Amino acid sequence: MLELRDLSVHYGAVRALEGVSLQAAPGGITAILGANGAGKSSLMRAISGIAPVVAGQVLLDGQDIIALPPPARARLGVAHAMEGRRLFRQLTVEDNLRLAWSFGARREKLAASLAEVYARFPILETKARTAAGLLSGGQQQMLILSCTTIRNPRFLLLDEPSLGLAPIIVQQIYGFITDYAAKSGIVVIIAEQMAALALKVSRQGMVLRRGRVVLAGAGEELLRGRDGTTLAASYL
Amino acid sequence: MDDFFFSLLLAGISVGAVYALIALGLNLTFWTTKTLNFGQGSLMMLCAMLTVIIFSQGLAITLAVVGSLVVVAALGMFIERWTVRPALKSSGGSMGWVVSTLGFGIFLQGMAAKYFGSQAVAFPDVVFTAQDFVTVFGQYISLQYLVVLAVAVALILAFELFIRRTVWGQAVHAVSLDPELALVQGIPVRRLILGSFMLSSVLAGVAGVLIAQIGGTVDPAFGFDLVLLGFVAAVLGGMGSSLGALAGGLLVGVISKLVGGYVSTAAEHGIAFALLMLALAVRPQGLFGRPEVSKA
Ligand SMILES: Nc1ncnc2c1ncn2[C@@H]1O[C@H](COP(=O)(O)OP(=O)(O)OP(=O)(O)O)[C@@H](O)[C@H]1O
Ligand SMILES: [Mg+2]
Repeated sequence: MLELRDLSVHYGAVRALEGVSLQAAPGGITAILGANGAGKSSLMRAISGIAPVVAGQVLLDGQDIIALPPPARARLGVAHAMEGRRLFRQLTVEDNLRLAWSFGARREKLAASLAEVYARFPILETKARTAAGLLSGGQQQMLILSCTTIRNPRFLLLDEPSLGLAPIIVQQIYGFITDYAAKSGIVVIIAEQMAALALKVSRQGMVLRRGRVVLAGAGEELLRGRDGTTLAASYL
Repeated sequence: MDDFFFSLLLAGISVGAVYALIALGLNLTFWTTKTLNFGQGSLMMLCAMLTVIIFSQGLAITLAVVGSLVVVAALGMFIERWTVRPALKSSGGSMGWVVSTLGFGIFLQGMAAKYFGSQAVAFPDVVFTAQDFVTVFGQYISLQYLVVLAVAVALILAFELFIRRTVWGQAVHAVSLDPELALVQGIPVRRLILGSFMLSSVLAGVAGVLIAQIGGTVDPAFGFDLVLLGFVAAVLGGMGSSLGALAGGLLVGVISKLVGGYVSTAAEHGIAFALLMLALAVRPQGLFGRPEVSKA
């Protein structure tokens, strides 16, 4: 269980998050929605420990981790695919995977973990010795996802995994995410601007606007709209 | 080959390999923090000085060297924690570490002068004396230079293996590329930075002992030129490049010895800086440095 209680993130005078609370249970996907600058990335960064949290708590299975530095949180099972296709671009595909595995939970041997990744995304095996920065956008996103799953996380944070990708690739990526969430039974949180896309696969969703929660509920509900409050309206 | 030229060449290669060692140490902290520990000069001096003092108490020379290296490694930690980290944290200009590391070095040098005196003290002959030679094809080869060369090259190789072949070496590389990504991937960046300053200090300490062995003496001001020569080697080769550190070190070593032998020993160290200015004008990224790789 991942829980946020009254979480606030400020960058100097900029209030990126103000008193946001959330409960995400394992075995389902939570969608964090909102326009540019709504605070989606700040929420994820607060969980992985790289945002300036000024108030509130982040609890993993009841344990408040707000005082822990990012590597300690990672060891507790937080895996964060940051926005902007963050990879070690000069390192090869396999080096990226090996590094992620080395500092992960290491539940399986490296060879077995790599084989699993390559079975899922064969193109990554073909490109194993290529610098990650030279991959196409879709391939980079596959690698980023694989770098998080190869760590055997318990709390998976995915920041706009569909950004800048062709629809067919988005399908593939989302297919992978839903499969993985169902199979692993962990907590998965996805930040997206494409609300419909994320809500279709999510158990619950939350809409942020200027750092505050303006709408929250079950995925289905948010998708269809409720009490005259349509999802689209809360964006404006 | 001319005897004189040959002996200068060997001397140049030997000290050049030591400069390369210093440059590697500078590279290491550059990778993890984009800072250089300019206090390294004093660490070289202190390591050599402590070796002399411990040895004079009747302990074995290896123990004396190892003990000194431990002290220097601890000082490396101290430097990271108390001079570099605060300087990087303070807002407004991120170059504070230049002054704080250099300042700490000058402080160490002052303490050494106060407690050990500012006179040069003799450094013991560890394996061979300065008079030991072998002759190969009619050339006299100083055994001391050979040993220094061998130790420096062995350490450079070990360091390279560590960086390229181990997980921790890869992690250092990762931190140099994207520290934030390294953090969220669970790499203990803080510990890695601390470790990089310790290891870099140990490399400096070994370099100090090696140079003291060749020169035969050590005094409190001893390391000042050396860290600058190591810096020149690192910049010449391309800051952050291991191959560059080696090439830069050898280049600085050989050219300065040749100038020292044929022109004047007074110009020996000065020439390195002329070389630096020339190189920066012609090839600012250094011999093996690559211009920043742009983000795709
Ligand atoms: N490092 C930072 N320094 C200052 N302000 C920041 C920083 N990071 C984010 N902000 C500000 O915080 C607010 C929330 O940003 P955040 O990145 O969390 O939004 P987002 O919902 O992820 O947006 P996007 O969809 O564009 O990625 C914005 O106003 C942004 O300008
Ligand atoms: Mg964002």
